[in-house]
Amino acid sequence: MEVTIRINDAEVKAQEGESLLDAARRAGFSIPSLCHHQALEPIGACRLCLVEVKASGKEELTTSCNFRVTAGIEVVTDSAQIRKQRAANLELLLARAPGSTRLRQLAAEYGVAAPRFQPRVDSQLPNCILCELCVRVCAELGHNALNTIGRGEHKRIGLPFNQPSDSCVGCGSCVSVCPTDCIFIKDTPTTRSIWGQSFPFVLCKNCGAPVITGVHRDFAIKEKGLPEDYYDTCESCKQAATSKRFAAVAW
Amino acid sequence: MLAETVKTLVVKPTKCVGCRTCEVACTFAHSSAGWLGHSRIKVHAVAPERFVQITCMQCIKAACIKVCPTEALVRNPGTRAVELIEERCIGCGLCEVACPFGHMFFSAETRRPIKCDLCGGQPACAMFCPHGALEWR
Repeated sequence: MEVTIRINDAEVKAQEGESLLDAARRAGFSIPSLCHHQALEPIGACRLCLVEVKASGKEELTTSCNFRVTAGIEVVTDSAQIRKQRAANLELLLARAPGSTRLRQLAAEYGVAAPRFQPRVDSQLPNCILCELCVRVCAELGHNALNTIGRGEHKRIGLPFNQPSDSCVGCGSCVSVCPTDCIFIKDTPTTRSIWGQSFPFVLCKNCGAPVITGVHRDFAIKEKGLPEDYYDTCESCKQAATSKRFAAVAW
Repeated sequence: MLAETVKTLVVKPTKCVGCRTCEVACTFAHSSAGWLGHSRIKVHAVAPERFVQITCMQCIKAACIKVCPTEALVRNPGTRAVELIEERCIGCGLCEVACPFGHMFFSAETRRPIKCDLCGGQPACAMFCPHGALEWR
């Protein structure tokens, strides 16, 4: 159901129940965030998308990504209080991920040069900020290979028990969504290495170029219902075959 | 049924001289970087002085839409183009592999697909083709 909300004194149309961050960004308001993705459940991990929300008489400072829109709420996306809190959170994040360019740029925008805190960088995943985008994307895809391990200051991201996992298919979605580029992935002409595991590629039947990891292909065939021969040829060989078919018709 | 009045990108390989103006137009229409690798349309040499231009076919039963796990690829009802909603894409790369024509590209830098969107209804490749080998009509 479409409802009307107020953001920075402007009337904005939004869907009831959608993420406030999505609604605000769609209306053109700029709100920083590192852990939000439209295709994934918001969890409010990075705490950079803080906004002031006035709902049913109560005013609060809250993360907009996991705040569900309801009719009539009043939102402020930028104030001295908000900037102060975001800057503090950026300092904390920066202590975990001093090597992240994106984080450093964001910190500079908020006047944070270097954090007051001792850097505490994850030894296995340097620059990981525990936003769990990788965990959530893996779950969304149905692989469920990644998880958080440990609690409190020992919490980190990895495969269960730090052991190779049958669930990981080496698709690399975790790498694609990671906001601090901290997940290691390496492709050779025959294998992909990720999370300490090695995945052999399906090689193009014509030229031998890597196409997709074998387990990812098996998963795709089973789940997506496309025939097996969709996955056995590389991009350039498919292009060459298509252009030859076109040429045969044209001349 | 699709409306008859919707325009289509008409490709005429017999008129193509292989100048690759379409690739340049495409690249600049989608970014200011001007790297031809980002072009959504490709000119393929199939024989001496014979070229075929191929871009996304905007398939009716599109394999890319079928394999996308997050519904990040959607049909634009106005142009019939299959468009990428970047905010919903998680960069799994399945669409690139699934495309039977090899014309879904995957950017190694952004880890997101590169896909023809028919420029929202005004394809730059057709506008700039000097030989009438690409027409939007």
